[in-house]
Amino acid sequence: MHGIFYDDIHDEIVVPVALAGAVLTLPGDAAGDAPPKRILQGPKTGIVQPDTIYVDLKNDELIVESGDNAVLVFPRTAEGDVAPSRRIGGPNSGIDNIYGLAADSKRDCIIVANRVESGGRASDDAILVFNRTDTGDPKPRTKIAGPHTGIIKIRQVFVDEERGLIFATIKNNFEAYNYADPRPSPWDPDKTGFIGVWGIDDNGDVPPRGVIKGPATGLVWPAGVAINAKHHEIYAIDSVSNALFTFKMPEFFVKAPGSPPPGR
Amino acid sequence: MRRVSLAIVGLLMLVNSSRTPDADGALCPLPDRKASITSPINEATLLALERENGCLEDDADTPPESWPPGWKTANISGGDVPPVRVVSDPYPTLHSVVVDSERDKVFFSDPNRHALWSYDRRAASRDRREVEPLTGIRGPSTGMMFIAAVTLDRDKQEIYTVDNDIGDRLMVFPYDADGNVKPKRVLDVPHQAWGISISDERNEFAVTVEAPREIVIYRKGAEGHDAPLRTIRGPKTQLGDPHGVFLDGQSNELIVANHGNHGGRAPAPGDAPARQRGARVAENQPIAGGQFDEPSITVYPAAATGDVAPIRQIQGDKTGLNWPMALDVDRTRNEIAVANDGDSSIRLFRRTDTGNVAPVRVIKGPRTLINGPMGVAYDLKNSEIWVANYGDHTALVFPITGTGNIAPKRILRNAPAGSPTVGFGNPGAVAYDSKRDEILVPN
Repeated sequence: MHGIFYDDIHDEIVVPVALAGAVLTLPGDAAGDAPPKRILQGPKTGIVQPDTIYVDLKNDELIVESGDNAVLVFPRTAEGDVAPSRRIGGPNSGIDNIYGLAADSKRDCIIVANRVESGGRASDDAILVFNRTDTGDPKPRTKIAGPHTGIIKIRQVFVDEERGLIFATIKNNFEAYNYADPRPSPWDPDKTGFIGVWGIDDNGDVPPRGVIKGPATGLVWPAGVAINAKHHEIYAIDSVSNALFTFKMPEFFVKAPGSPPPGR
Repeated sequence: MRRVSLAIVGLLMLVNSSRTPDADGALCPLPDRKASITSPINEATLLALERENGCLEDDADTPPESWPPGWKTANISGGDVPPVRVVSDPYPTLHSVVVDSERDKVFFSDPNRHALWSYDRRAASRDRREVEPLTGIRGPSTGMMFIAAVTLDRDKQEIYTVDNDIGDRLMVFPYDADGNVKPKRVLDVPHQAWGISISDERNEFAVTVEAPREIVIYRKGAEGHDAPLRTIRGPKTQLGDPHGVFLDGQSNELIVANHGNHGGRAPAPGDAPARQRGARVAENQPIAGGQFDEPSITVYPAAATGDVAPIRQIQGDKTGLNWPMALDVDRTRNEIAVANDGDSSIRLFRRTDTGNVAPVRVIKGPRTLINGPMGVAYDLKNSEIWVANYGDHTALVFPITGTGNIAPKRILRNAPAGSPTVGFGNPGAVAYDSKRDEILVPN
């Protein structure tokens, strides 16, 4: 499983199961061999091999990566073999391999961590932002991508709605799909990953407003990120060093009323 | 999914000292970083392990890392900031196990630290102490990423291991390899390979692949881009998220442990080429809908190819199968041993069993110390069964006829007793449970 969401209103844990084409909802206190409360699975769902999910609690919707180059939106409590309410995908959308999903109910948008694999380390990865109610093959309303962003092999994204920030995990290296390729991280210190922070309204080839990056961070291939705004903590999970890091970055949690996000 | 609680973790507590990039945008190692440790392991050992693992970067020769264009003139918060807490297991995990009883060696794969370890077969931990390995293959030259199974070509004295969800290579090392060494051979294998089994009689080896639900069979000695000799795949095969495998050249059968998961697309045709990462198998297959089927052991003719039905299938509630991982076959007793991760047991079936049958023996219970087993291997010469616990830092040895809630004959620890096992394996996401003040990490 490469995705997870904790729903603090309904005290539920939601996970995608890529190998079984399913989304499971479990009780918040689940442990051991606990059965799920709901299973979303079947041909009508369009769910093929989901790697990531998000729950929009304000709009009571479940957002699922199809494993088929599309974003699927269901009622939050959907279960069984039901069709999605909306689907975003196609050449205009630019959606390819989705590695992270989030939503901002204040700004009424869905955020997609999108990868376009082009072999080796090169890529056209991006943070794509769509209107929440988009369906079909729309163009994203904003796209953060390009060499100045440093986005190479993006993974999970997390949105801080209060401060209008997108936290993104960037692996900054490829995953060696060819036997003859040089081996990537953790053995290449010049290409270790990072956490990048952008404003939710940022657009184009813009540097991040904040980063956690460098040898002292311990990050090699950060693959997941979440924040605990109450304690001003950022959690990052690393898929190569097999480690969970907690960072204290109080400046990421400070915002005067009406001011732009920190860092600019 | 494994829950991770902040209350019970925190093997390393690093002091916070915020740091921003220097004037030219380069990031340099912190000169005065100190670590304070809360761990059952002494500080010097822990730091030495972490440094060796590449988790601490204190090498003064490391070239400074350059930032992307435009960053040095941008107003960017943060920088090279040490974490205030790190949850990490500095010790190897024990994933898969294989024994060479002629040379009295036992080998383990270690996806936590991307390594292969060998021990003296007769070694046993005294008291709470760990056993020193004979060899450890690890480091940048090895190229090992998130490895899964390990097996041996005993005639050629070669060790095989395979990348699972990162890397997509099979690597072969000589028995005596030790340290940061290049593999003797590497082979492109499909993404999400897991199990390996070699048949000397057939001069072949088989590899299981999870998501596409396929078995790929190669000639021994295959390397580079060599294509498999044949592939077993398709709806008739009943393959569902295959893991452990045994290619039996004596009975001419191929035995596979299946978790039972079926992805949302119909499997590709049996005669389509095995898919490499980033490539497609012909056209996308129709969406059939995902499925959680019951775990199973399926058996095929060793020469099977394409979309073939199993000749036998062990499946159903009587089997007790639950996340069956590795399996091994005792051809003298005609038994199959299965590492049953879901209920921390070893389940033994007759080799010729089929249908919804109970195992002939089960090794399970608190006295056994079996804890989340990934690996199981017979040592026929010494009449023993080896079990690799992924749930803690131990490997266990039982009599080959052992049954029930029995204590192991020997325990091999690779960490001091009581060292926690975090259990991370290629984790890809994280969430915060604000009600319980817990961090959730799916594997």
